[in-house]
Amino acid sequence: MKPSEAWRLSRIPYREMVYRSLAEERGRMWWGAFGRNRPGKEAQDDLELTKRALRIAKFDKSVVAVFNVIVSLAPFASLFLGGSGFGLTSAISLSLAVTFGFTTLYAIQTLSSFMSPESSALLSTMPLERDDFSLITLFSFIRSFDYMVIGAIISQVALVAYLTASPTATLIMLLASAMNAVFAVAVALWFSRIFQRNMLRGGRSKANTALRLFFILMWGLLLVGVGFLFSLPWYIVPNLQSTLLGAGHVWSSLLGLLYPFTSGIIITGAVSSSVTFATILLACAAMVGYGLLAVFAGKWSLGTVRRVSQGAGVNVARVAARDFSVKTRGPLLGYVYKDLKAASRNPATAFFFALPVLETVIITLLDSNFGTLRTVLVLVGTSLGGVFALFLPLALLSAEGKGLEYTKTLPISPRRIVVPKALIATATYVPVPLALAVISLFKPLTSPAAILIPVLTTLAVASASVFEIKLFLRTAASGKIASVINDFEKLTVGMLIILVPEVAYAATFLATFNHAFSLSAMGGAALAELAVAFYVLRRS
Amino acid sequence: MQTKFGSASEPLIETSALTKRFGSVQALTELNLRVMPGEIYGLLGPNGAGKTTTIKTILGLSEPTSGWVKVCSFDPVKSPIEVKSRIGYVAENPIVYDSLSPRDFLEFVASIRKTDQAAVNGLVGQLASAFDMASYFDSPIATLSLGMKQKVALIASLIHQPPVLLLDEPLNGLDAKSSRIVKELVSFHAQKGGAVLFSTHIMQVAEQVCTRIGIIYQGRVIAEGTLEELRGKTEGGGGTLEEVFLKLTHEEDEVADTMRMLREAFFKNEAK
Repeated sequence: MKPSEAWRLSRIPYREMVYRSLAEERGRMWWGAFGRNRPGKEAQDDLELTKRALRIAKFDKSVVAVFNVIVSLAPFASLFLGGSGFGLTSAISLSLAVTFGFTTLYAIQTLSSFMSPESSALLSTMPLERDDFSLITLFSFIRSFDYMVIGAIISQVALVAYLTASPTATLIMLLASAMNAVFAVAVALWFSRIFQRNMLRGGRSKANTALRLFFILMWGLLLVGVGFLFSLPWYIVPNLQSTLLGAGHVWSSLLGLLYPFTSGIIITGAVSSSVTFATILLACAAMVGYGLLAVFAGKWSLGTVRRVSQGAGVNVARVAARDFSVKTRGPLLGYVYKDLKAASRNPATAFFFALPVLETVIITLLDSNFGTLRTVLVLVGTSLGGVFALFLPLALLSAEGKGLEYTKTLPISPRRIVVPKALIATATYVPVPLALAVISLFKPLTSPAAILIPVLTTLAVASASVFEIKLFLRTAASGKIASVINDFEKLTVGMLIILVPEVAYAATFLATFNHAFSLSAMGGAALAELAVAFYVLRRS
Repeated sequence: MQTKFGSASEPLIETSALTKRFGSVQALTELNLRVMPGEIYGLLGPNGAGKTTTIKTILGLSEPTSGWVKVCSFDPVKSPIEVKSRIGYVAENPIVYDSLSPRDFLEFVASIRKTDQAAVNGLVGQLASAFDMASYFDSPIATLSLGMKQKVALIASLIHQPPVLLLDEPLNGLDAKSSRIVKELVSFHAQKGGAVLFSTHIMQVAEQVCTRIGIIYQGRVIAEGTLEELRGKTEGGGGTLEEVFLKLTHEEDEVADTMRMLREAFFKNEAK
């Protein structure tokens, strides 16, 4: 089979893979119309929905690729912004590091579906040669990250070519970028395999829980990394540069042995005399080692893809249950546990639990940069944290998926579906007031009343979560299942609900210049929103 | 006379002139149904006859266009919680939370249904052992076979020991042993005074399991009774349930014509 033909055919398993990944994440597509289904209409909706879902997936992939390009370029910005010192080494190193992290974590999302042989189940029944089938599967695998990898490689290579005007440096960058992509994909594949294996094996081991927590934490760190993105050109790149090349100590030369710095040091060495010969020599030796590792990682990845295509992706023995005991709880607690388990076991929704880490880090960093905790700072910080918390109800709704069809058969009111999710979302926001309370121990507040702002925002987060979920349930109840793909409407409503008490505070302060009055106005607005949310819930 | 679930003379499931329309599609027309305590009522019909719609309407998942439904004297439209708490339901395609394990899923169902822990553990333990679920009890449901998912759904439907069981093709994907167990469970449930509405399109299953059969065709119950009573309603007055069904739905000639056409098409090339 011609490679072009294989590439064309690879679209089928790729689309299936994307669709499966989307179906997991957006399981609510199949929620139907809460008992008001119309057979013909429903089928038509599903078809439209599938097409739309795939269009959205393509758009998402393009957006992620563009973001990856921005991420890869950001560390180089210091070279244009006149950052202190010549930061090529650290810019290259950080560019490789952040694209590695971002590509890996994005690929994990898609490859978790790829690890299941079901994505190529249809093709496997066709009369295809084994090699052709493997080639098609390999191409479908490449399709899941082609845009972002190619985008990052081109942008990194082009920028190094522009900055150094050296063919040698450009060639080394091309090699380093390609290696970086191979490493990222191999790590993602390895991680997806572990995730899939643990999923298949099941069991109630602590190791499984620890793995999920580790995964969530990784996402949190990535998000924090993205939060740091704009600090890269101004602070991190120049400082790292002086550490890497300025000090001249043995240990700083040894940094050249570490993966992301190796390429940066060699490229800088190729165009500048600022790097010692010993450092370049060490880095070159390391580069050869990493090259061999990349060849190994590439071969391992291809082998894994081939095994998956042959239906031998993950072989595991199931863990037999020691007993059949079942622990019953109250309906509310039972639902909370179910929501937490369902969302945290799905790689596509688990990372939303990392948002509290990001919220807290952002608030802490934002406030720790100032000598005094000004009220406006607290207002901005808390509302920003609130917006992050609003993603969680949508993630929990995603995790419900088709399962809600079953829940509808249980003696449960819609209120019971809303409250657990609102509680979980609100709980994830609680670290924000706590972080502020801790910071206020060390830094003076312009008004002591400001410490209550995040507490009142917590109420607004609870109300916003209720409205987000209710909005979804209402949309689904009226049969417009296609509209649930778009979360923008729900997020907008949620953000407005969070902003109303903040605006009440700001407006009252501008009118009275009195923090106590402003806080009362904010409290009044937050309580009024909560009262409306309770009313809406009671009517469910 | 009283049963565990109330008066033996009061129907546990009753529908009257139940009609359901989906746009221009008439799914159910004036459907009348009564399932008494101790009865296993087989709802028998071809694909698209209205079996699943009937069950979903009884459960309250679908609102009737006209007519009414009563489950243990409760109207599913007005009292959905009361109705759902008295029903154990198994869907045609087992719907469960894929990312949960059977244990997690049953914990969730038992918690929502506010069941007693000791009673649940006794029942779940026995059913899970009977269904050989040890190797699957802590695996994500997404990784289970259709039959295993069906077993999970069956256990979930029995967890609160409801008076009414609505089983929509419950033997889908089950092996011979498990099918036998399910049939026995259904029989035990009826012996205790419960009512079972058992939807199937497999005649042998209806013959073996059901005490009374309703033949549903194009949204109407066209005949109802025991197997003997149904046989009596056909011209020859005998035959298997399949033959009775084809006669009552006037599909006998149609099936014969279709088979003749298929035979011609199938052996066309060989004749040349």
